[in-house]
Amino acid sequence: MSKRRYRKILAIVGAALAVVIAATTWFVNRKPGSPFDGVSASTSPSKALIERGRYVARLADCVACHSTPHGKPFAGGLEMSTPLGSIYTTNITPDKATGIGGYSLADFARALRHGVAGDGHRLYPAMPFPSYAKLDDADVRALYAYFMHAVRPQRQPDRKSDIAWPMNMRWPLALWSAVFTDGGTYQRNAAPAGVDATLWNRGAYIVQGPGHCGSCHTPRGAVMNEKAYDGSSRQYLAGALLDGWYAPSLRGDVNIGLGRWSQADIVRFLREGRNAHAVVYGSMTDAYNNSTQFMSDADLKAIAVYLKSLPGNPKQDGPPWQYQDTPNPALGSGAHPQAAGARLYLAKCGFCHGRDGRGQGTWIPPLAGSVASMSRHDASAINITLNGSTHIVAQGVPDGYRMPAFRHQLSDRDVAEVLSFIRTSWGNRGGSVKPQDVKKLRQRTNPASSDVIILQMR
Amino acid sequence: MSQSTDINGHNETFPTDETPTNISRRRFLLASAGVAAGALVLGFGLPLDTARARGATAAAGSPPRVPAFLEIRPDGGIRLQSPFNEGGQGIFTAMAQIVGEELDADPTHFLVENAPPGKQYTVMSNGMRITGGSMSVRFGYTAMRRIGALARMMLLQAAAHQWGIAVGELTTEPGRVIHKASGKSLDYGQLAPHAMALAVPDADSVKLKDPGQFRWIGKPVKRVDVYDKSTGRVEYTIDTRVDGMLQAAVQHAPRLGMTVGRIRNEAQIKAMKGVHSVHILDGAVAVVAERWWNAKRAAETAQVDWQEPKPDPSARHMPTDFSTKSYREHLANASGDGETAESKGHVGDALKGAQTVVNATYSSQYVHHAQLEPPSALAHFHDDGTLEIWLPNQAPDMFLADIAKRAGVDADKIILHSPMLGGFFGRHFLYGPGNPYMQAVQLAKATGRPIKLIWSREEEFLRDPMRPMAVVKFRGGLDANGMPVALEAISATEGPTEGIANQRSKKKVDDSAVEGLTGKAYAIPNRRIAQLYVKTPAMLAYWRSVGHSMNDFLYETFLDELADKGGQDPFELRMKLLKGNQRLTHLLQAVAELAGGWKRGPFTAADGSRRARGVAMASPFGSQTAAIAEVSLENGQVRVHDIWQAVDPGSIVNPAIIDAQVAGATALGLSEVLLEEAVYENGQPRARNYDMYPILPPDRMPKVHARIVESGAKMGGIGEPPLPATPPAVANAVSHLTGQRIRSMPLSQYDFSA
Amino acid sequence: MELHINGKTYSVQSEGDTPLLWVIRDELGLTGTKYGCGIAQCGACSVLVDGEVMRSCVTPVEGVKGRNITTIEGVEEDPIGQRVVAAWVEHQVPQCGYCQSGQVMAATSLLKQTPQPSEAQIAASMTNLCRCGTYNAISAAVQDLAGGGPSAAAEKARMQAATAANGRGMRS
Ligand code: FES
Ligand code: FES
Repeated sequence: MSKRRYRKILAIVGAALAVVIAATTWFVNRKPGSPFDGVSASTSPSKALIERGRYVARLADCVACHSTPHGKPFAGGLEMSTPLGSIYTTNITPDKATGIGGYSLADFARALRHGVAGDGHRLYPAMPFPSYAKLDDADVRALYAYFMHAVRPQRQPDRKSDIAWPMNMRWPLALWSAVFTDGGTYQRNAAPAGVDATLWNRGAYIVQGPGHCGSCHTPRGAVMNEKAYDGSSRQYLAGALLDGWYAPSLRGDVNIGLGRWSQADIVRFLREGRNAHAVVYGSMTDAYNNSTQFMSDADLKAIAVYLKSLPGNPKQDGPPWQYQDTPNPALGSGAHPQAAGARLYLAKCGFCHGRDGRGQGTWIPPLAGSVASMSRHDASAINITLNGSTHIVAQGVPDGYRMPAFRHQLSDRDVAEVLSFIRTSWGNRGGSVKPQDVKKLRQRTNPASSDVIILQMR
Repeated sequence: MSQSTDINGHNETFPTDETPTNISRRRFLLASAGVAAGALVLGFGLPLDTARARGATAAAGSPPRVPAFLEIRPDGGIRLQSPFNEGGQGIFTAMAQIVGEELDADPTHFLVENAPPGKQYTVMSNGMRITGGSMSVRFGYTAMRRIGALARMMLLQAAAHQWGIAVGELTTEPGRVIHKASGKSLDYGQLAPHAMALAVPDADSVKLKDPGQFRWIGKPVKRVDVYDKSTGRVEYTIDTRVDGMLQAAVQHAPRLGMTVGRIRNEAQIKAMKGVHSVHILDGAVAVVAERWWNAKRAAETAQVDWQEPKPDPSARHMPTDFSTKSYREHLANASGDGETAESKGHVGDALKGAQTVVNATYSSQYVHHAQLEPPSALAHFHDDGTLEIWLPNQAPDMFLADIAKRAGVDADKIILHSPMLGGFFGRHFLYGPGNPYMQAVQLAKATGRPIKLIWSREEEFLRDPMRPMAVVKFRGGLDANGMPVALEAISATEGPTEGIANQRSKKKVDDSAVEGLTGKAYAIPNRRIAQLYVKTPAMLAYWRSVGHSMNDFLYETFLDELADKGGQDPFELRMKLLKGNQRLTHLLQAVAELAGGWKRGPFTAADGSRRARGVAMASPFGSQTAAIAEVSLENGQVRVHDIWQAVDPGSIVNPAIIDAQVAGATALGLSEVLLEEAVYENGQPRARNYDMYPILPPDRMPKVHARIVESGAKMGGIGEPPLPATPPAVANAVSHLTGQRIRSMPLSQYDFSA
Repeated sequence: MELHINGKTYSVQSEGDTPLLWVIRDELGLTGTKYGCGIAQCGACSVLVDGEVMRSCVTPVEGVKGRNITTIEGVEEDPIGQRVVAAWVEHQVPQCGYCQSGQVMAATSLLKQTPQPSEAQIAASMTNLCRCGTYNAISAAVQDLAGGGPSAAAEKARMQAATAANGRGMRS
């Protein structure tokens, strides 16, 4: 290739590159528009508006991430570990210097819906703005009123993330948002036949929007994007592995989802933290303790109606679970199993979960047919066994029965053996667990706090 | 620790008189105290008039107190008030054996109870009354024998009167007086009513038995409490109840020293099922309810704004940034030579002249008592202002004095009961905020009802004072033959005694912090043991075998390190260092013999596992011990197969109980070396229950083989001595098997899977 | 709610989610069953429900209504329970005794289901904690009950040797 020709190509490429850079720079630095641009919020909102905002804050579970057990409400500082290092949630009290006290309604809406902070920097998508984007204007207004007028300002500077350069650059997040959020508030859809459309739409709104259920329950793609943000995709709420837990499918899957649950079961679970199928644990404890139990009966019903409308995927889910006494029979009277896993089960698990794996009423959940026993993902089973559960606090009262942590009693191999037993007994098809996987999770996770943790909103 | 409360010194209730008295005739009083009519009761001087007066008020209010010691009932039953509390160590049986031996009555038929407070029960030759320090038998032995002998003499005298025969012609067989010549005999029970009128003979007039004649002492007499304990009949403090009683649970401040700002949801708690009232205590919120489960759930429900305390050097305060990890570093970084606790020769010079110098840093960990019975107390104010209280304790007089002082109740207005203990281990001493009884007293006062307060296991682990942690810097010097010529140990720690007192020992050294580093019998010519005082914010406590529980581990494992550096077999090295010490040479040989001869390994056992053995010795509480442990690795975890232990307490009372104590103390030592560590992070314990603080489970228990060696030396203790040699014996075996030097406990923190 | 305990019927007021442990201890005054941890870790609260050992601290009372509950207070009414208690006394198992109600119940349950358990079966069933370290005595007692086995014989010989030993000298 001649030198001239080469130079010419270089010039063309250079020019193109300049355009791309300029465009990207504009794009990543631009503040997206907001319907609230130029709109000023009332300086003395009505009590009703503030109360509505408080309720929306419950629906959206703001407190779980923006508070720490011993910190002030909404002052941030909760550590979230990512593979790149820890990030810390921010102060969203109305403090002018360190919080969001200087945010206009439009600024607030941009942060909430687009992940753009008041100063224009991009938020990590640990903040579920792709879901919050669906909040309707009235709810955003209410939420703003609540934060500005009912939350006490706290002077607490945000803690910088531990992520090192270059991964700590925020501008690429703008591209991420552009690609993976479709923006736009929730749009009313036609409900499936025979379903109350108002209820269904309300349920869809909460689940997809403020409730941001997909953050945990929808599988994520290569760059941590949720694969779907609404029911138009089969991937939506199809169950996902996140943070050392497997969040079950919330679809009609009979084994790893809600297929066996009635609407009433769903409502009870979200209101009381327990039903005959399961008891809240893992990261759902935060969602339950701070959010779902505060939802109105009507909203819980709406959620149940909506979730029950999402079909399962039998291909992924397999044939429906049925209680079986083979290959490992219920460890009835006088059973003296040879297998180490079964012996461990009797010594460590059976007193609570029953020798037959069926649990006790709604107080202690069954392991027979449970998602953690049926899913091929073993993270939840391992995690809860190693680390136990934090207290479920229903209506302010901590639970009477709590899962202990076994990390100091059982070796990786013990945990693998007992879980392999559980996940292949009583018709369970989760399959066996490998000691290496236990080891990995042991290193990555911490025991659940046995303190009763109640995050205050005021 | 000799501050026993004199409940009699300043009032007329009972005169102080340490000579036993026949109090049988004070019938009204005795009857109301549950003493059988017609029983011979040996107690202490009791003037009839005040007794009557007291009896009269007793009927109206609080129950009477009788300083009875020994009661021989007309039906032949014998009731003994033990000055020492039973917490598993078998002391009730030992006391019955000792008294029964001289009384000539079968100890297995004794009814033994814990005696109330009172100077009369200060039978220990060191002037104390405390169940602890493995002291009960060795310090109470003579006094208890004398009581038995006096009672026997009175029964003999009563029989002599009956038959008109000289006492000298009479003898006894268990439970009866015999006149050999005539073949006449009378049961003790039959004689008791006749002995009631007799004066107690002069203590010097009775001769104690020749040990060669012992019928029960030295024999594996069955325990008096075993049947009741096998059938759930024993009433521990947690089981006590009185009419009209309410129950209480607490939520403690997450860190010691914090106080209650406010309870955010007080109205909610008050409305909970069964809740009687909600109370703010010092560093805790309490809920009183009809039933404990309701109280506990309500106490857990309390959302409390806790406040940091004002600076107060007299109180311990747990700061938010305290962690055991950083505290261990803090101890390791402490510099200085410390205060000398024991010294011989010239360590510095000897180290300079040594062929090889070995420097190593060892450490111990905080551990919990984790006794199975969670702490509780039942407090009841009677109408006459008397406070009746049940609480687990190991020193009734000291507790009574403490309650009197802190509750502002006259000591003679306190009736203190000491039920059997659901586990001992040093948990039941006075630990300030580490005990629940003052909370119970306060609640009883506030509610006007009897209150039983129980700490949930979670609250217990939050306030359980711990065995101290220490970092010990060792320096050892070896000569050309690999023999130790110098050893220095500087322990950076706060000892339990200074921790409990919350002030540094006036002597500059807390003996209980260094025992086990001091008092070693090895003939190392130059040595220096020192304590470097470093205060901790954690509450400290005695733990079974106290300083020995950690220090013998530290010393004996370092000794093995020295042996290895000097190319010596650790058993042979100990033999050499004990040359000329017959008692210990004999003991070490005894344990080797018990184990089928010393072999260090590693060797392959019959089951194919690779195993090694370790040896260690200790000189705790007046006794001598030597232990050998055999270990292997199983899935990267240490498995202890056998522990052989030889114990020389000088002389003994009950070999079966000693066997049991060896098994029990060994188990606790194993638990400590294999599993236990109380971890604090952010000023709070990480474990609040047994799930995160595992204690030795049955499947990790090895076979324990005990050999009792009675050298005839001065009697030593038994409850604690079999503990200290166990952890180092195990650790030494593991170091040898794995090639990885063990310098701290527990072994569960090491990964041996590689 | 009605409970059948030790052959008697009790009517109890506690709420359905109350652990059986606290119903029998507090409401019925049967305090032989002990509280140690409340989270199924120690076994001090063991009782039999229809002959099978349960940890009553994690047993919501509602789940056992109408079933046959045996507590330590009733253990000697059961012939096997009686033998267990006798073996406990013979082997002098208890120290502080706090865990022993639970241990006796666990052993009774085991022997009711399996009259002659193997050593491995005993180890698998006797999982209650004992802080006093009575584990060797417990397994000796249960093995004795299981009908001999080397360690029962050994234990007997040991006790006999100890009994025979007299005066000063060496014992093991
Ligand atoms: S109290 Fe039930 S297992 Fe510990
Ligand atoms: S005998 Fe004390 S806990 Fe077992």
